[in-house]
Amino acid sequence: MIILLNEEMKSFEDLASSFASKELSPHREEGDRFPFGPFNNDILAKAHGVGFLCITLSEDLGGIGQGISALCVILECLCRMDASLGSIIFTSTLSQEIIIRAGREDVLRNITSSAGGPKDLLIAFPAYSNPSEHSSLPLATKGKNGPMLSGAVNYLVLAGIASRALIPARISGQDGYSFFLVDLSDAKVKISDPIFSLGLHACPAADVKLNNAEATLIGNEGEGKTYFEDASNMMNAAAAAMSLGIMRGAFEDALAYCNEREQGGWPIVNWSEMKMILADMAIKMNIANMAVSEACHAIEKKTYGWNVCAKAAALHVQESACHVTTDGIQALGGYGYMKDYGQEKRFRDAQQMKTLLGSSPMRKIEFIDQLNVEG
Amino acid sequence: MIRNSEVKSILNRFPKFGDFSIGLEYAPRLPKGIIKETKEIVAYVRKFNDEVVRPNALPLDRKTHEDPDYLPYDLMKKANDWGLYTMWIPKMFGGKGKNLPSASFAIEEMASACVGIANVVMVHYLGFSSLLTSFNMRVTNRIIKDVLEGEKNGGPCLIAFAITEPGAGTDVEDMELVDRGKVVCRAERVNGGYVINGRKVFISMGHVSEWTVFYAYTDLKKPSQAMIELVVRKGTRGFSLGRHEDKMGQRVCPASEIIFDDCFIPDDQVLIDSYSIKKFTGRSQEEVMMKHFDMLASSSKAGVCAMGVGVARGALEEALKFASETEVKGKLLINHEWAQCLLAEMYKNVVLGRLAYIEANNANSHRGIYEMLQMKPIFYYLKYMPKSFFKMLSPMLNMNMTTWAMSTMYLHMKKSEDVNLTSGTSSLAKVAGSDLGIRNCQLAMDLMGEAGLRHDQGVEKRLRDSKLLQIYEGSNQMNRVTLFKGLIAPFFSQARVFNEGREDGI
Repeated sequence: MIILLNEEMKSFEDLASSFASKELSPHREEGDRFPFGPFNNDILAKAHGVGFLCITLSEDLGGIGQGISALCVILECLCRMDASLGSIIFTSTLSQEIIIRAGREDVLRNITSSAGGPKDLLIAFPAYSNPSEHSSLPLATKGKNGPMLSGAVNYLVLAGIASRALIPARISGQDGYSFFLVDLSDAKVKISDPIFSLGLHACPAADVKLNNAEATLIGNEGEGKTYFEDASNMMNAAAAAMSLGIMRGAFEDALAYCNEREQGGWPIVNWSEMKMILADMAIKMNIANMAVSEACHAIEKKTYGWNVCAKAAALHVQESACHVTTDGIQALGGYGYMKDYGQEKRFRDAQQMKTLLGSSPMRKIEFIDQLNVEG
Repeated sequence: MIRNSEVKSILNRFPKFGDFSIGLEYAPRLPKGIIKETKEIVAYVRKFNDEVVRPNALPLDRKTHEDPDYLPYDLMKKANDWGLYTMWIPKMFGGKGKNLPSASFAIEEMASACVGIANVVMVHYLGFSSLLTSFNMRVTNRIIKDVLEGEKNGGPCLIAFAITEPGAGTDVEDMELVDRGKVVCRAERVNGGYVINGRKVFISMGHVSEWTVFYAYTDLKKPSQAMIELVVRKGTRGFSLGRHEDKMGQRVCPASEIIFDDCFIPDDQVLIDSYSIKKFTGRSQEEVMMKHFDMLASSSKAGVCAMGVGVARGALEEALKFASETEVKGKLLINHEWAQCLLAEMYKNVVLGRLAYIEANNANSHRGIYEMLQMKPIFYYLKYMPKSFFKMLSPMLNMNMTTWAMSTMYLHMKKSEDVNLTSGTSSLAKVAGSDLGIRNCQLAMDLMGEAGLRHDQGVEKRLRDSKLLQIYEGSNQMNRVTLFKGLIAPFFSQARVFNEGREDGI
């Protein structure tokens, strides 16, 4: 990435690339079998071991104290090989960032200090939707020991493997929504079987039903929207970085295949139409690279309009990734459609990622509304 | 106003009026009975969808993820019971003889519910078409008898089609490329037949078909002059099934590897070889095989377009259902203007795709492979003559004279401009339908957001299924070149196709 301007970033890139080659690559197809095959706990433990589950948390909160650039570098390198672990890291980091913005570092400190394993560190979140768009969020009421939540949360990412979840809920009689931390092992929380989805199979999700489940309020009542938007503004760059990683993997595999596979007596890379396809892929990938780098730079420097920059990067890169992965399959022909090769998985993962933080049309509408308001 | 000779000369300029007004020119020749028959077929397939396809589409897809070796025998049995494996086999062979363009409408219907299941039913007709376009009536008649028997006794007898080789996909589909490709399926002439060695890959329904039509080469160094077409029965010594591919979509329809290891194919299972070409056509092997492929592809590519249209329509139907039931920001999605425009775009894609396969079939009916069957007298003759008449006629199909007559009509006399038109138009339809199919799935997923990601909502499966349409029956890149070759290049004498590499001595 262009943001690799210093040695520190380079070391994160080396670490994540090496992790992807050694740990993700050999288990990619096997991991993709979930929920019809086992979930690979070993990879999660190893990711925890190198600090990938708490990248942006400060050291005093048990993290490695890095900013958005390091997060993006790591996610891009991981997703180049297999985007499911990246998606686990993204979801839990999003939850952590919301909790930080709500001023509850103490909650995170308790979680990291008492964690017995990686699953205790993970915080599930409904990462494919914007809570503001939902008319049926769970309802929070006051119980003897504090707030209690009732209702359904659809597509709670990491439910089934994480110990806790950050749940958006409405408080009776109030506008807006608030965030609550819920212990997913509570008997009043019912978790469905894992959802079988288009992509990112090794990043489990489930539907959850809450029946007066005990919860901890995170931040102020009714301020959920502010926390979500602040956190997601930053996490847009991370979402874009994941899609960039997928694009890079798709392009590299397509180029390698086109140099090996022959048609008409010579490698297919020599046919000019194939050059056009590869060029389109490379151009989109390089522009995505610039967009992610610029977004990271803007976020870290807090330059004017950084949030708009990050959101535009995410929308653009996620869309581009869908085109690039479509061509990635096409370059490999029939082989690209088979599960033995990584291209079909990238196609599914890229399409799935397009919906991170909400459906793309609704995010576009919010984007223009935001631009209009901010002038 | 303008002289007739001038009209003709002006309309023959590029773009040639006859090339883009096929439906207009064909309309007066269309037997009206086709419309009624097509309506009945669409209604029948909708009923099949309600009773068989929709209830099975998602559960079977899920099952194939749980058990990647699953094979769709139950589904084949149901399609067989519904008479779908003989529906489009002409009456002269003993089939139900429904008009061939109506198969595209049926494919659209089935694919709107599940493309994978549509393929389980319809890829059998790719096998049948490859028999038919060999114009070897004797062998075709023999194989079809098994299909009819299978329908009668409840044990489906399907025909698969095998051309793709591990190292040669696009290359084997055009005689201009095949000599530069890496083909390995070798046929050695022996007393009474051929001995075959080699492999074929990505063969739809290979594991479950009784018969497989395939191609091999008597000379691997000059395959364009040495390509032959044969048919093999499951269980034949030296013929075996290899990998059952683990595909992204259309999973209910298995893609198979088939292996020939000193497999003897007797002469009575040879559809086209150098001897039959010499005997029945008098043309070069290269020319005959290219015509055979062009005619075969002209009908199958219209079918792939119809699959794309079916997927596009299915995605639209799912999106409409979701939009009319789901509130976003306090308002039903269907009442958001952006959603209305998105749904209108999807509707437009369906209609344009459908027009593309209708026009490809008009070309096939007017100047291509369906021409004879679609002529009014022949259509009505075949439609209303009793079954006993065709039984009486059947022995004639086994006569050399019949094969000679059909081969002469199609493989010898067919004008190259007709072949260019049907081949180019069907490639156009294939590219358009498959691209529109995938586009509509993506639009539906955008509209549905998180819900669209879930298997139980059906749209993500359609997206996975649709991607294959851009790959099989020639990649869309290959089909764009075929379109150029058939519809554009004839007007530009400087134009050469598949010429890259040759300039560099490859």
